[in-house]
Amino acid sequence: MRAAVAAAASSDGRSAVLARGMLPAAGGAGMGSWLEENLRALAARDATLAREVGAAAPLADEPVASAAGPPTLTADGVLLHSTHDPVREADRWAAAARDELARRAPATPVVLGFALGHHVEALARLWDGPLRVVEPDRRLWRTALAARDLRAVVARTTPVVAPPPAEVLDAWGPVVLLPHAPSVLREGPALREPGERIVARAALRSLRLRILVVSPLAGGSHPLARYCARALGELGHEATVLDLAPFAGGMEAIPALTPRKGPRRVVEEAYMRFLGTGVLAAVDAAQPDVVLALAQAPLDATTLAEIGRRGVVRAFWFVEDHRVLPYWRDVAAGYDHFFAIQDGAFLDDVARAGAGRAAYLPCGADPTEHRPVVLPAAERAELAAPVAFVGAGYRNRRIAFRSLLDLGLKIWGTEWGGAGQVEAALQRNGARISTEDCVRIFAATRVNLNLHSSTYVDGVEPRGDFVNPRTFEIAAAGAFQLVDERALLPPLLEPGVDVATFTDTAELRDRVRHFLAHPDERAAFADAGRRRVLAEHTYRHRMERLLETVCARDAERFLARPRAETIGDAARADGDSPLGRLLGTLPPQTPFTLDGVVQSLLHREGDLSDPEAILLFLHQFDELYVREHRA
Amino acid sequence: MKKILIVNLTRFGDLLQTSPTIVGLRECHPDAEITVLVERNFADVARGLPAVDRVWELDLDHLGRLLVPGTGSGLRAAYAVVDETVARLRAECFDLALNYSSSRMSAVLLGMIGVADTRGWTMTADGHRLISHPWSRLFAASCLTRRQAPFNLVDYYKRVAGVAAGPRRLFFDVPDDARARAADVLAAGGLGTGEPLVAFQLGASRPVRRWPAAHFVALGRALHARIGARLLLCGGGGDRTLAEEIAAALGPLAIDVCGRTSIAELGALLARADVLVTGDTGPMHMAVAVGTPVVALFFGPALPADTGPYAADHVCLHADVPCAPCDHNVTCLEPFCRDTLAPEAVADAVVARRDGDWAALEAAARRWPAFTWYRTAFDAEGLADLAPLGGRPPARREQLRRACRALWKSVLEATPVGTGSTPLAAEAAIVAQVVRLADDGVARARDVEACACAGSVDLGALEDAARRLEEVDAALFRLGAMHEPAALLLQVHRFEKENIEGDDVVALARASVRLHEELGRRARLFVGLLDPPAARPPAEVEGERHASCG
Repeated sequence: MRAAVAAAASSDGRSAVLARGMLPAAGGAGMGSWLEENLRALAARDATLAREVGAAAPLADEPVASAAGPPTLTADGVLLHSTHDPVREADRWAAAARDELARRAPATPVVLGFALGHHVEALARLWDGPLRVVEPDRRLWRTALAARDLRAVVARTTPVVAPPPAEVLDAWGPVVLLPHAPSVLREGPALREPGERIVARAALRSLRLRILVVSPLAGGSHPLARYCARALGELGHEATVLDLAPFAGGMEAIPALTPRKGPRRVVEEAYMRFLGTGVLAAVDAAQPDVVLALAQAPLDATTLAEIGRRGVVRAFWFVEDHRVLPYWRDVAAGYDHFFAIQDGAFLDDVARAGAGRAAYLPCGADPTEHRPVVLPAAERAELAAPVAFVGAGYRNRRIAFRSLLDLGLKIWGTEWGGAGQVEAALQRNGARISTEDCVRIFAATRVNLNLHSSTYVDGVEPRGDFVNPRTFEIAAAGAFQLVDERALLPPLLEPGVDVATFTDTAELRDRVRHFLAHPDERAAFADAGRRRVLAEHTYRHRMERLLETVCARDAERFLARPRAETIGDAARADGDSPLGRLLGTLPPQTPFTLDGVVQSLLHREGDLSDPEAILLFLHQFDELYVREHRA
Repeated sequence: MKKILIVNLTRFGDLLQTSPTIVGLRECHPDAEITVLVERNFADVARGLPAVDRVWELDLDHLGRLLVPGTGSGLRAAYAVVDETVARLRAECFDLALNYSSSRMSAVLLGMIGVADTRGWTMTADGHRLISHPWSRLFAASCLTRRQAPFNLVDYYKRVAGVAAGPRRLFFDVPDDARARAADVLAAGGLGTGEPLVAFQLGASRPVRRWPAAHFVALGRALHARIGARLLLCGGGGDRTLAEEIAAALGPLAIDVCGRTSIAELGALLARADVLVTGDTGPMHMAVAVGTPVVALFFGPALPADTGPYAADHVCLHADVPCAPCDHNVTCLEPFCRDTLAPEAVADAVVARRDGDWAALEAAARRWPAFTWYRTAFDAEGLADLAPLGGRPPARREQLRRACRALWKSVLEATPVGTGSTPLAAEAAIVAQVVRLADDGVARARDVEACACAGSVDLGALEDAARRLEEVDAALFRLGAMHEPAALLLQVHRFEKENIEGDDVVALARASVRLHEELGRRARLFVGLLDPPAARPPAEVEGERHASCG
């Protein structure tokens, strides 16, 4: 490598390089020692990164001299800079970047990919402001810093190896992403995703999205609609739940029409189409930016296409086991964003099925509902148990829990009819258990069982991957649980640290007996689990991630969409006029409509000002004459 | 009194009904400048009213268009329009403002204009509705309890303006050019000089207020057969289909001007007609204003006592079916009341009224007893009244309305009450409950006053006393909602309570005492009107019964 650079320096390219100060000045570091000098410069910007880069191995590929002299690099088969003249190439890239920055001023440039830094250096010559470069690959940093004198470049650059926290982004202001295409090609999602997340987060700072969360008719994912909407609201967005629970009765009544499967299915499909039409009407009324459908929401391909035609981004959170419920294949193509609680090959399948983007998004907990509670004695008398389970009576649970009948097992939930001996442990005659009662039961139970459902195994699903909501909910409630091992559990809750696990039915009984005898261990797990869930696994975290993913692709679309003017916008526009001054005292995020303004005025006391009275007059006029016409 | 503002943002007919008040104001204040604020579409009507110095047009259509987007520049522009209008109106420094539009919107507008002497709906400084004149409050209350409508709308207008003695007719000045155009239209229709012409007003503001096309056709044929009448078909642009249907059926008998006339031309055409047959419509009032006899058909939500022709000697035929009047907010799916008014009966009324033959009208009323016949008149106090035709005794509901009218004449004008002839004991028993509750309200309001006046105010006791007073008011309002005879009385009381202003608890308590005392006084008076002792059958005297048993 050194030889190549030296050769370049000795050729005609040398003068060009010298002109740009690329070679060390007299008395500076020699060709072989750029790494140390550059690392020192990097340490001044980011000491941690400098240490990590210093400890990292260089890439297997080495830089070579370009025809013009300055080094270039082909890494993992991707040529990162021109072999002819990387500097000229970088100048062209930087000129285009400068134009883009001027077009979107004021904005902060975020360069995606460092490579050997030629493009960053060129941009530094054209741009006086701060430069941020996303480059998570420490080995590439090591190779680049060893290849040439980058001290001046590093001194101007803030290296970014992961999306920074919100408060840092707030200081950045608007962001323009400047991808270095060869770097993106080489590193793929590892580089693209942090970049997109930065853009998304930056966009989300100025976006107040209107999101319609569509619930299913019933089932385990129904309450998630509420949790999601609450979390989205906490994040500053306008989220409403389209709660379809009132229509569940209709679906349940269909079997009463005919015992035959075929005709029943026809009616069920017609009912789903009817509900889809209803959802469409709700979309037209709410005019959301995003429709977020929870698993089993009644949105078929036709409805989804109609929603898409309205310019609304369609997101789906499939909180189901794709092996058990394969209907996702029929709807995936209708979604711009498909989120799943399973990852790996399944996400590729989803993408192949036509979804715009597929991403992994595990379940979580809602701390406002899943929280520690202290029970009155009377409630405790009913709910307390050494060991208990809350949930539906799937086959594997019916079998696995038999071994616990002599340990004081209580079972709460539906679909336990015909469960044989286990039915003896069933409480409240198998009535549905509300979320509030679930939390009380978690609190009143010493060992909460959490066995992921299966319709075909006898106990623990050997291929089980996703983590069910109950795992997070019990933990958030500050209760102790024994959960079956799942492939995707360890990154979320570390077995043996955050949560106690079991691997099979035989082990289950032993573990229950063990933890019944060790309350201190139970308490330690409960405490650790709750802390971890609150820190990383609430629905707020999930929705934050979901919106980042959505905005990574669609932020421009949201920003370009005509937005309803808010009172804050109007106050700024009206400045120091009487109307502007009044609006300046009202909630700025409220829509600048007569309803919005007058609702805000209703809470006030004292005499009406002229602007208040005029708006009241217009509101009355609107109600009398205009509203119907507008509708 | 130098400058008077009259606000009437309602429609054609309502504006014409304002005309006696304006003329009355001119008589009382010959030097005053009278400005009428109207919706732009009806500005031509206002220009035809005598004694109006200025017509101030409010372009509500434009304002509505600005507001259709619901936000942004449209909303700002609408704001600017209202801001500028209010500023200009304020700058006029009116001495008196009369608001004849019973809407919150107009109340806010009047509150903003801020004329010291504002009568009708207005707004307090802190944004509450205020109905500032006793006749306005009675009118607002009667809109909510319409069966008891004691007075004609025009009488409310006049009394709110303080011109009770004003003219007993409506006014509209038909310009000469409009008369000329009308004459041309009629000549083109082949109408000969002196040839009988009966005008039909076909349309109405809502379908339920329209008489069926087939009835008009039958009536037209009957009138032609009986008096050789030609038929003038009137209406608005929205009535064209109806007019074409009727014109096609009547052939050359009809002169169809529906949707083809200006307001002034309509006035001129109606002036030429011998009689107008109409529902409760703006043209009905126009005919009254130009002196053409009216045979007015009242059905659906229309009530002759409320908005009937304001002049003597017009004829009202009222389908007073048990469900009448319809609530303004409902859509009747079977308006059978329209069919109660048979075309043959209406023909009888038209022919007799054209001839001024009141004996024939009495006979017709007896011949057609399925609905009620009235002749418009004025009572001894100059209030518009309805004289029944046909000699039928008034129905119980009409008796209640008449008792109600006597009550409010006594309350508001100190007119001595007569005695009813037929006791309405059940109704009186209901109003007697109002008496008891009002007395209770007086006692409880005094408790509040006593608590508030005490040397050191016991807040707990004061709150308790106030809560007990609220309980009485709640019971009163419940009574009004449940029982029609008490409804108007209690609705007026409710509006009066709304009008109490201030933060001084003692003053509020004293005002409440006075209001409950007044309610009790009115209720006692009403009981006496509904069940006068003289009209009651002699009660058995307990002692005498014992004596006879002995």
